[in-house]
Amino acid sequence: MSGRRTVFEIYWEILVYCRSPRSFTSVINRCDLNSKTGQEYLEFLEAKGYLTILRDNGKATYQATERAGEYTSLFSSMYQKLFDSQPGFRL
Amino acid sequence: MNNLHNQALIQFRTEIRQFYIVCILNLIFAALAMGFGISFMISAILGLTAPPRPGMLIGAIATVCFGLGLSWLLSTARIFKGIKVINHQLDAEGTSITDDRITCLIVRMLTHYRDNRKTIGKMIRGCTFGGICFFSLGIGTSLEAISILSDGITFTLNNLLVIPAMLLTLGIAVVSLLSSYYFSKFVKIWDRRLLEIDESECALKKNLGLGEQ
Repeated sequence: MSGRRTVFEIYWEILVYCRSPRSFTSVINRCDLNSKTGQEYLEFLEAKGYLTILRDNGKATYQATERAGEYTSLFSSMYQKLFDSQPGFRL
Repeated sequence: MNNLHNQALIQFRTEIRQFYIVCILNLIFAALAMGFGISFMISAILGLTAPPRPGMLIGAIATVCFGLGLSWLLSTARIFKGIKVINHQLDAEGTSITDDRITCLIVRMLTHYRDNRKTIGKMIRGCTFGGICFFSLGIGTSLEAISILSDGITFTLNNLLVIPAMLLTLGIAVVSLLSSYYFSKFVKIWDRRLLEIDESECALKKNLGLGEQ
């Protein structure tokens, strides 16, 4: 997904994608990030305990932790509430 | 499927489908507007619009209509492309769509809206101005003569053959003005959602202890 996203939308996208272990390259490709910002986001999420790094034969992959589930479900409910609380667009 | 998910899905799907229809209508009428602009321009240049009609003025309005039609078409095409992808994905997923997938499509739509917010704003102004131009063109080309006297205004229609063309031009004017109305409505609703997101994100940041990057 490209275009103007908020940092929280990017966090959500990374965390949902990393439910199964993913390499750095696949995360930045999937989330349409450049290496520098991708590295910053992953480091931030790891520092906050939302991502863990798994190392297997020198190959590092990122996986979302249980704590990430709280964030992704809160995010989903907030975004879905946008279509629940107010009258929407109608012809 | 929980209740919030269900409600959000119904509302989101309805909005995307209806906005998709508005975009298709815009594409059709923008193409017609461009075609009409060209046809009236050629008529004005070749002098087919016999005096006493103000051919120069009609030519000028037709040129403006052609320009507006072209920019209307290009802007609509850009917005339509994103909406089409989201609409097709929603249709493809059907009712078995997962919670994450619907959130993903909502985020995608918000991203698309943020990217095209300025273009939609321009389209609102362009459609209003275009509607007025097409209205003038529709009236202008169908009049044989107009006299303003002290006791009122009298006018004669050119001939019956121009009535279908006049009606189509007036139709384009109406669609143009209606598009402006629907785009304004869409912007109002989605701007409010962007505002709600800003507020939600503050809460999200506080609750989960996420700091600014």
